[in-house]
Amino acid sequence: MKTFQDLILALHRFWRNQGCAIVEPYDIEKGAGTFNPATFFGVLGPRPWRVAYVEPSRRPADGRYGENPIRFGLHHQYQVILKPPPPDIQELYLRSLEALGINLRKHDVKFAHDDWESPTLGAWGGGWQIWLDGMEITQFTYFQQMGGVDLVPVSVELTYGLERIALFLQREDSAFQLRWTDWLTYGEIFRERERQFSIYHFEKVSVERARTLFDFHEAEARECLAQGLVYPAYDHTLRCSHLFNTLDARGALATAERESYIARVRALARACAETYLAEVVRAGTPG
Amino acid sequence: MPALLVEVGVEDLPAREAAEIAQSFKENMLSALKEARLPYREVHLFWTLRRFSLLVEDLAEQQEETIEEIRGPAVSVGLDPQGNLTPAAHGFLRRYGASAEDLVRRVVGEKEYLFLRLKRPGRPTEEILKELIPQAVRLIPCSKYMRWNGGMPFLRPIRWVVALFGEKVVPLELAGVSAGRRSFGHRFLGHPLTFSRPEEYVAKLKEAHVIVDPKERAETLRRAIRAVEEEYQAKAALSEDLWAMILGQTEWPNPVVGRIPQEFLALPEPVVVAALREEGKFVPFTRGGRIAEIFLGFAEGKGNPEIIRQGYERVVGIRLGDAMDFFAQDRRRMLESRVPELKGIVYEARLGTVWDRVQRIRTICGVLARELSLPSELLDRAALLGKADLLTVMVREFPELEGVMGGIYARLDGERAEVAEAIAEHVRPRGKGEELPETPLGIALSLADKLDGVIGPICVGELPTGSHDPYGVRRRGTAAIRIILEKGLRLDLFRVIEEVRREYPGAEPAETVKEFLWNRLRAALEERGISYDIAEAVLSQMDGDFLGVWERAQALQTLVGRKDLVDLATAFSRVRNITRGHAIEGFDPDLFQEEAERKLWQAYLEAKKRVEEAMAEHCPAKALEALLSLKAPIDRYFDDVLVMCEDPKLRENRLGFLLALSRLFLQVADLSRLVVPG
Repeated sequence: MKTFQDLILALHRFWRNQGCAIVEPYDIEKGAGTFNPATFFGVLGPRPWRVAYVEPSRRPADGRYGENPIRFGLHHQYQVILKPPPPDIQELYLRSLEALGINLRKHDVKFAHDDWESPTLGAWGGGWQIWLDGMEITQFTYFQQMGGVDLVPVSVELTYGLERIALFLQREDSAFQLRWTDWLTYGEIFRERERQFSIYHFEKVSVERARTLFDFHEAEARECLAQGLVYPAYDHTLRCSHLFNTLDARGALATAERESYIARVRALARACAETYLAEVVRAGTPG
Repeated sequence: MPALLVEVGVEDLPAREAAEIAQSFKENMLSALKEARLPYREVHLFWTLRRFSLLVEDLAEQQEETIEEIRGPAVSVGLDPQGNLTPAAHGFLRRYGASAEDLVRRVVGEKEYLFLRLKRPGRPTEEILKELIPQAVRLIPCSKYMRWNGGMPFLRPIRWVVALFGEKVVPLELAGVSAGRRSFGHRFLGHPLTFSRPEEYVAKLKEAHVIVDPKERAETLRRAIRAVEEEYQAKAALSEDLWAMILGQTEWPNPVVGRIPQEFLALPEPVVVAALREEGKFVPFTRGGRIAEIFLGFAEGKGNPEIIRQGYERVVGIRLGDAMDFFAQDRRRMLESRVPELKGIVYEARLGTVWDRVQRIRTICGVLARELSLPSELLDRAALLGKADLLTVMVREFPELEGVMGGIYARLDGERAEVAEAIAEHVRPRGKGEELPETPLGIALSLADKLDGVIGPICVGELPTGSHDPYGVRRRGTAAIRIILEKGLRLDLFRVIEEVRREYPGAEPAETVKEFLWNRLRAALEERGISYDIAEAVLSQMDGDFLGVWERAQALQTLVGRKDLVDLATAFSRVRNITRGHAIEGFDPDLFQEEAERKLWQAYLEAKKRVEEAMAEHCPAKALEALLSLKAPIDRYFDDVLVMCEDPKLRENRLGFLLALSRLFLQVADLSRLVVPG
């Protein structure tokens, strides 16, 4: 697996062969692939669902001005949802690593206990981080709740950390050295962007305007929900979530205030999940 | 008799919890077998993170037969004068489908009755196991339950079940899985395997690269650690938690040694240790009290150690690189500047924020400084800064560094060494049996911290009951008592609690807190090998000087088995019994009439002086010796003196004297509580 894009293509091929719909990243900033509507709404309700996609995920607080070899304000997740998961899901996941050319017998692979939780999405699940020679390369979660709703059936979410896997496959120490393709490195695409966004998020974001925007999107989401427009409401929820992350990275939130912002986003996510289940699923027109 | 093998195959259990899960399974199985009256010879428990299993040797093939007796009519009703069955008795037999041979006569109370003795044959074991095994799994308590579309919630999905009784599969279902004889070996090195008999279990799994016996796995780990210790002349820095993690992490441990890049050895050592131990990844080592440059990881399986080592070193480098960033970030601000932000962290809804907690700890410290003659300004400074590290990135990322980081940052901020040490030590002991604070200020701050964690929840009504103790009040109470006893703190704990009670919300009085701690003291005494009756004897009177109680218990314990103590206890019991219910302590020696009275009075005066001196010197052994001198005069007194005499004036005077004598004993111990042999 010589390049970053080959890695993505290999995962696409593997999961397509497992019957996943390969969908595209969603076009709003988000902290993780879990926020993509293909996951958030996909795991709600009874309909079987299998999707896979790459999600560029933004976590402003993780930015390091492009100076840290493995921490970024934007990284790439490869996200798979299997609803319901097959009983041999662990084996299936391991086969996906083999499909990347990793000989598991030569390495140390561990399923290390890590129950996942997203307070902003009102979601949690039981599962693991997968360690490959000690490095966390995937989050593996049996979703139990989304938007505060108990999930029946349960879905499995696999979230591969693509930069980390690429570092492993390309035997590099810094993500910026990774080859995206033969003639282009990861650093050439992302390093300057990392630097600028770190400056922006840590030093320049107008706290006042970010708060105003948060309030604005929250109000829009509420308005949409009142009209039964759950997808637009969810888009505004995503924007709130990102604005919260931005304010947090800027150091603008004291602990108690931070909690209250999280609670506001969670309340929206919960309302979206409930409205979705009530309106969309009941009408028999999911998606 | 055949053996039983049960193996429950699971997706990887949390390494920390795997042993407990297996243990609960065993306990559930054994108590169920007992209840089902199924005897066996021996059991063996096995587990890894992917399975837990029980091998029961020589399990009975059938339940033990039982005999049930059912009461029928009275003999006078059931038998006619000739001894023949009456219609009433026939009716009784018919109802149970029994015959006359099953009848026996039994006396109940005054009357004799006819009883039916019915033999109930046991059910076949296999039939019982079908329900018993799934139930034993379902009843395992988990820290958290998850669902996986498998019909029952459990810690992790259950994927296969082996249930073999002798050579036969026990046909049962668990979490939607049918039991069989098929299992799986190591994830990468093994293969599916089938057992024809339970006895093959351990050996066959080993062929499939699973060391399923935890004792054998532990030995493998220990050997590997020792080899590294010898090769690098270093000592492994294990903790209980780290050990549990590495024991639970692999089915076929493969030791891999890596090196910490030089540049990171400049970080504070506790940071390096925490980063290595994080999530049970690596074992750190020390050499001559300093962190060594190597670490040890246990890979799963038989991978290439050279390749894995590179991976491990990269991970360690990344994490220590993070730690460098955290350190630099935290150092941009003084610890003190973070203190007001503690108002933003809710400690408990009724007990306010961590800032409120800090204020209460400061109040307790004020009282402790006075009681223990400590420099109150320094102690207050340490209390003020003690919790500020909760707001640092380093502690957020490595929670186990709480306190330690505060100490390091305080020192770098230029705080006095005693203050920095007290901050670092105040979170000790971190667990049962773990290290206590050492410096005087650290000891006081730690005690204040624990007391706040006891008084606060109890005052708002969270007194622990049974296993319900969400605020860890018991743990903190035990720690507070450990500090007092083991660090030899002479103070009146009850007075401290009364003085600070008004700082706390809630309706529970200080009395509830005192009683709670008094009960913890009882547990602490028993844990330290004080026998039950001695604990009772020294705990007969509430006393805030816990150290004193402990010293009296020890002094008494050393006298156990001595005849004079037994005799003294017997003598004192007479004093105690006769004065029970009497309340007036005063007496007039001029009213003494008998020689024995005057002798005991003189002995009492002498002993009283010695006891009071000894107690003032905190030397209860001496006090006990003084009391021993009273044995003979007491015995003589009861031989010669009739306490309950006719003359009410004399009687009251004698009782009043004996009560004073009794009070003298009770200052040391209520010897009447001692269990006297024979």
